[in-house]
Amino acid sequence: MATKQDKLSFTKNAFTKNASKLPEFENHKNQTTKNTTCYMCACRCGIKVTLENNKIRYIQGEPTHPVNKGVLCAKGNAGIMKQISPARLRQPLMRKPGSERGTSEFVPISWEDALDMLTERLQKIRETDPKKLAFFTGRDQMQALTGLWAQQFGTLNWAAHGGFCSVNMASAGLYTTGFSFWEFGDPDWDKTKYFMLWGVAEDHASNPMKMGINKLKERGGKFVAVNPVRTGYQAVADEWIPIKPGTDGMLALSLIHVLLKNELFDWEFLVRYTNAHYLVVDTPRKKGDGLFYRNDDGIPQSWDLEKNCLVNAIDPKIKPALLGKYTAPDGTPLKTAFTIMTDRYMDDEYSPEMASKVCGVPAKQIEKVALEMAHVAFKETIEVNTEWTDWTGKKHDKFIGRPVSMHAMRGISAHSNGFQACRSIHFLQVLLGSVDCPGGHLAKPPYPKHIVPPIKPGKKVVPGQPLESFPLGFPTEPEDLAIDDDGNPLRIDKAYSWEAPIANHGLMHMAVTNAVAGDPYEIDTMIFFMANMAWNSTMNTSKIRESLCAKNDDGEYKIPFLVVCDAFDSETVGYADLVLPDTTYLERYDTISILDRPISEPHAVCDSIRAPILKPDRDVRPWQTVLVELASRLKFPAFTTDDGDRKFKDYKDFIVNFEKAPGIGFLAGWRGENGENSLRGKPNQNQWEKYIENKCFFEYKLADSHKYYRGVNKDYLEFAKKSGFTGSTDPIIIELYSEKLQKFKLAGQGLYDGPQPKKERDQFRLANFFDPIPAYYIPLEHRCTFSKKYPFYAITQRPMFMYHSWDSQNAWLRQLQAHNYMHMNIEKGKELGIKDLSWVWIESNTGKIKVQVKLMEGCQPDTLWTWNAIGKQKGKWGLSDDANESTKGFLLNHLINEHLPCADTGSPVTNSDPITGQAAWYDLKVNIYPAGEDEQFGVYPNFEATKDLPGRPKEKDILRYNTKKPVRLSRSLIDILTKGGFE
Amino acid sequence: MRLGLVVDLDKCVGCNACAIACKQWNTSGTSGSLTDYKPYGADPSGVFFNRIRHYETGNYPDSKTVHFPMSCMHCEEAACVTVCPTGASYKREEDGIVLVDPEKCMGCNYCAWACPYGARELDREEGIMKKCTLCVDRIYDENLPKEERKPACVMTCPTTARYFGDFDDPESEVSKLSSKRDGQELFAELGYKPVNKYLSPRKKVEIEKHEICEPDLVRKVKDWVNKVVEL
Amino acid sequence: MHPAFSVIFFTVTSGAGYGFIALLGLFNFLYLGMLIDKNTFFICAAVGISLFTMGLISSTFHLANPKNAWRAFMRFRTSWLAREGLLAIIFYPIIFLYLYFIYIDFQLDYFLLMQTYSLIIFVLSIIIIYCTGMIYACLKTIPQWNTFWTPINYITIGVSLGALIFFFILDFNNYNIEPYKFYLLLLIISSLITKLSYYYSIRGPKHDIGQATNAAIKLKTTKVRLLDVGHTGSTFLTDEFGYKVAERKLFKVKMFAIISGFLAPFLLIYIHSFIFENIIFCILAISLAFLGMVAERWLFFAQAKHVVNLYHGSQNV
Repeated sequence: MATKQDKLSFTKNAFTKNASKLPEFENHKNQTTKNTTCYMCACRCGIKVTLENNKIRYIQGEPTHPVNKGVLCAKGNAGIMKQISPARLRQPLMRKPGSERGTSEFVPISWEDALDMLTERLQKIRETDPKKLAFFTGRDQMQALTGLWAQQFGTLNWAAHGGFCSVNMASAGLYTTGFSFWEFGDPDWDKTKYFMLWGVAEDHASNPMKMGINKLKERGGKFVAVNPVRTGYQAVADEWIPIKPGTDGMLALSLIHVLLKNELFDWEFLVRYTNAHYLVVDTPRKKGDGLFYRNDDGIPQSWDLEKNCLVNAIDPKIKPALLGKYTAPDGTPLKTAFTIMTDRYMDDEYSPEMASKVCGVPAKQIEKVALEMAHVAFKETIEVNTEWTDWTGKKHDKFIGRPVSMHAMRGISAHSNGFQACRSIHFLQVLLGSVDCPGGHLAKPPYPKHIVPPIKPGKKVVPGQPLESFPLGFPTEPEDLAIDDDGNPLRIDKAYSWEAPIANHGLMHMAVTNAVAGDPYEIDTMIFFMANMAWNSTMNTSKIRESLCAKNDDGEYKIPFLVVCDAFDSETVGYADLVLPDTTYLERYDTISILDRPISEPHAVCDSIRAPILKPDRDVRPWQTVLVELASRLKFPAFTTDDGDRKFKDYKDFIVNFEKAPGIGFLAGWRGENGENSLRGKPNQNQWEKYIENKCFFEYKLADSHKYYRGVNKDYLEFAKKSGFTGSTDPIIIELYSEKLQKFKLAGQGLYDGPQPKKERDQFRLANFFDPIPAYYIPLEHRCTFSKKYPFYAITQRPMFMYHSWDSQNAWLRQLQAHNYMHMNIEKGKELGIKDLSWVWIESNTGKIKVQVKLMEGCQPDTLWTWNAIGKQKGKWGLSDDANESTKGFLLNHLINEHLPCADTGSPVTNSDPITGQAAWYDLKVNIYPAGEDEQFGVYPNFEATKDLPGRPKEKDILRYNTKKPVRLSRSLIDILTKGGFE
Repeated sequence: MRLGLVVDLDKCVGCNACAIACKQWNTSGTSGSLTDYKPYGADPSGVFFNRIRHYETGNYPDSKTVHFPMSCMHCEEAACVTVCPTGASYKREEDGIVLVDPEKCMGCNYCAWACPYGARELDREEGIMKKCTLCVDRIYDENLPKEERKPACVMTCPTTARYFGDFDDPESEVSKLSSKRDGQELFAELGYKPVNKYLSPRKKVEIEKHEICEPDLVRKVKDWVNKVVEL
Repeated sequence: MHPAFSVIFFTVTSGAGYGFIALLGLFNFLYLGMLIDKNTFFICAAVGISLFTMGLISSTFHLANPKNAWRAFMRFRTSWLAREGLLAIIFYPIIFLYLYFIYIDFQLDYFLLMQTYSLIIFVLSIIIIYCTGMIYACLKTIPQWNTFWTPINYITIGVSLGALIFFFILDFNNYNIEPYKFYLLLLIISSLITKLSYYYSIRGPKHDIGQATNAAIKLKTTKVRLLDVGHTGSTFLTDEFGYKVAERKLFKVKMFAIISGFLAPFLLIYIHSFIFENIIFCILAISLAFLGMVAERWLFFAQAKHVVNLYHGSQNV
């Protein structure tokens, strides 16, 4: 390409005898270019924004940025249309006195009045009962700040959207390998030879995934895609495995079955880096069963093959047995964790033939894929010749690489068996020895972390005081649950209760339902930030919309005060009592912090910022600025000096000077008084400026010896501790066998010395689903839904050009897709007499919708699917009342119950993963049948348009965006008259 | 020179990045604005120079989805230029880029009729036919860094499924790719000699299978011998 | 293709106009002109010129940027549209000078020159109609137009329409139409035959989705099917080329075109000529012929399928 470019650069010569000389198209003197970070989705690519006449000329990918290296997706390229969206909120609004909630009748209110009102209300709550404030945020990228704010406020009731996004992925990883997918880890795109993609339609991680697929293809590596639908990435896969939704765990375990049966696994890896050799107490139905056998110091034991006795499992120099049953000196029967695994996975229950029945994937294909992976892992092993030292002090002259890698996301996580399915995938990686090794699945700093990070969920609410811990943490045993002495949930979303014991991201999808039901208690004020709870961010949308307006007998709303902060006029804004308008991503400062959801690359510690490109032209304020303001007004300890004065002037000041631990702040770059330190150092008052000078990101490249096997890499572990990523230099031993889960299981079995659930339902869930090694179980909704009545799985996918960018209904992107269809297999459609593009009814045990159907080949026959969040409420998002989004676009959410639609649950229980509380969106089962002749247009349900917000601009019929009068091309008359011959 | 694009159908994931990057660059570029009609209303539409179609071949479960981006092919025998009555449409001798002089176009649509690829779209507000210029307002701009003197679609493509260069130069990346992977023309039989080439989806990568134990040799775990491995 | 009324009107009326003028030229060339008095001749010329002028004016209505319409003849070197435009413009001084020469009885002194001039008028008129036809026939992208029958149809139909009007004017002015009956009927029949030949030649699909994509997709399977066109609304392309009409309607219109445009005029002229002479038949024949030709032209567009539809979901065109 370089030669090509050279050629083009001296084209001036070529033009000398040229009849159509090119004009100077761009007036660069009139243009300025600034860097910031994209926010069209959660990918956080670096962007370079060129301004001209105070408008955006062009947004392009920043070539030096570690995340996207210059490329940019459709969404990023459509940033201009977000910036000029008519859906932008323009001023703070208050529900019009006397009007009903949900009618969208608002009056403007000044920021001062709004903040005074809110401060007063919050002050009262904080001083009386802080948990009466529930604060839930959408897919924001500042959870470190919002979490800190909630902790300082003293309420447990905070969470971001992870509970209905992908907490199963995050948790399964953090409870198994110490890292996970996407923000936690990536395939080694530069070296992998076999890549398996699980349940990823077209989304996370947007650009890195696409760049990785390119690298894989350039190298000639194989790409296997597991997904019921062949769109997006699956299209370019070498092998497509159209699996039945919710059965991925079975597939993974069957692959493991094939590997084990043929003794194809990395024995050394299992011994050295995992707890597979730990001895487990084997006393079924007795207390202590399934826990590690520990010595008096509480250290787990292994069987040493040379000494033939019990030894400390984590002592260097031991030679532990991976297999076998042993007896402790005290007579306790023991077996190695790996023995439990082989017993389970080599059973015919997980044979390809059985899996074939469950997954709808041919047994031959399962066997083939397993053996291909084994071939690549063990016969195409790669070596990176770098000296490194493992945690025992042993020197190695190379890193062994097993170039099989995987990525998994929502298709795995959004099922009620997602946690265990994801763990199964990690198991597969571990057996192949492809964890954090060259060509395998790499961690991204600050991961891996110790299993699990030593943060316990907050429990104790004290009026006027911060929580003693963060609202969200990582429970390791039933004692960590946020329940009262009677076992009742302490949190409004019932996270960390028996319903969802390790709900590390909360259960935002239950917040409204529970608050309205007063179960476990009533709240006073609810704050939603970027969370569209009245539409696509909730299950059972129609019901939730009613709930938001539900009143007590005394006429007071069941959720007395609802604050909505968003940059755009979402469906939820219509339900607010107070609307606080946010800025767009191009108008504010932000941090993308290692303390939060990091953007690191496998071999570089990275963070980044946003710096304003444009001044807001509306009376709006960045939400984080408002949070710092409220925190200061409410005199949160972390925001107040010892003298009781305000500690931070504003958000920028807070970011620079707040230290989580000495030397550790939100931004890791250019620390130290003069910016001389990386990762750790004193606050630098010019830190923002340094970031801006450096294209708004910080990248600290890891030393070669720090790049792999980081959980057991001595030098890296020391580096990680020094940098504040971890609290100790202890090795991060992969927890194939999860004693943590076993403790919950014992609690369910009534065999635990500590808190145990009282409800039979909870006992059942703990006893059956908290398996210390994953087992496949049928998703909960499927267990109680008659397949004859609801024979189809129904799932959503996210279009590449729209996901996460559905706030604002972008004028360019909506041209690609202004409404969605329900897709189904073409043969299946014919079989049922359903015609392409006809209207059909889709029915679940919760409701029904009428939608337009589209037939396709690349769809598993038992699966219906549609694009997520394309449908909109009439009149919202700055769209006209006849916009396709409301006339033809639809949500699947209406069909999904937030409670498990099973009769045998006793009291209602969340329709979520019983372990993590991950919303089980994809467990939905439905029926489909043709709509009548007279029903051949228009979606059901359809909602009335609400009133326009004050100051809403009239939507335009014609949009002609540009930044200048174009410099036109011109062709000379001579050229016109002389060129070309007669034909 | 014979400038054009190579589109790799083996890598295109249909993300539309190129289509929107094109829209973004060009709406404020020499062809701007690229008008949008009813941008916030029913059936929104607008002028695009690059559109992605999606096809399926074969039957389930052996079906294959192919994402198919299309823009102006900058044909050597550009029928759109031949038929243009006003001379607004022309093909540059220097580099083969097919362009429209907006000052001379009368908006008769005739060139669009002549184009088999749907590469030309009328801007109804201006009454002018518009099309891909191969970002003629980028690729020669010496004020841009060298590596950015490429069409916006090529710059932005996250899977590097688009390449830009000179097909007359046998050493160029596009020439090499096209000859190595047998670059295809769309609708070659019409004889317009499209410059842009398409690289077909590759054959499935076949990986050897690890040998397995013969069924009668599959050992029970109890027969496995513990390997001595020091931590 | 979308049948725009302005273009239908343009092709029908300008075809008829030039066809008429061509016959006038031919008439004079064949010494038949002297049978007609000047007044009638000028009426004929005026009708012919008005027809094609109306057509030409109408043709500019479909321009999105008519202020540049004057440039339309610039690329006569390659463009049939430009050629048509250029010749149409050049034709005005030529025909007016011709009429002036007739007015001043130029032929009395320069007989041979006027003979040549008449021939030029004839040939040029036919060429202009040919150009109009070639505007469509040269497009390989629209297989239903890309046939030599297209310009032939344009010429035969244009001349037939012109002849009908000519016949009527002569008859109305009580000229002896006896010698022309046969030729008129022959013209109508030949225009019908060429039209039917056209319909025969365009039957069945000419290109399929394979040609549009298979070369590039190059998979063994022959079946390619559009999954998603990439936009949910319409685009310029779908508006311009996506015109779809039910086969039944096409058939009905085709029947109407054949009956009203060819058979009925033939029959009426036949009756008028050989059975029951009444000028009303002539008027009726002209009216039906024009109506029929509008239908024929509508069909010409509606039946034409642009190959770009292969990228929008059509399996073939």
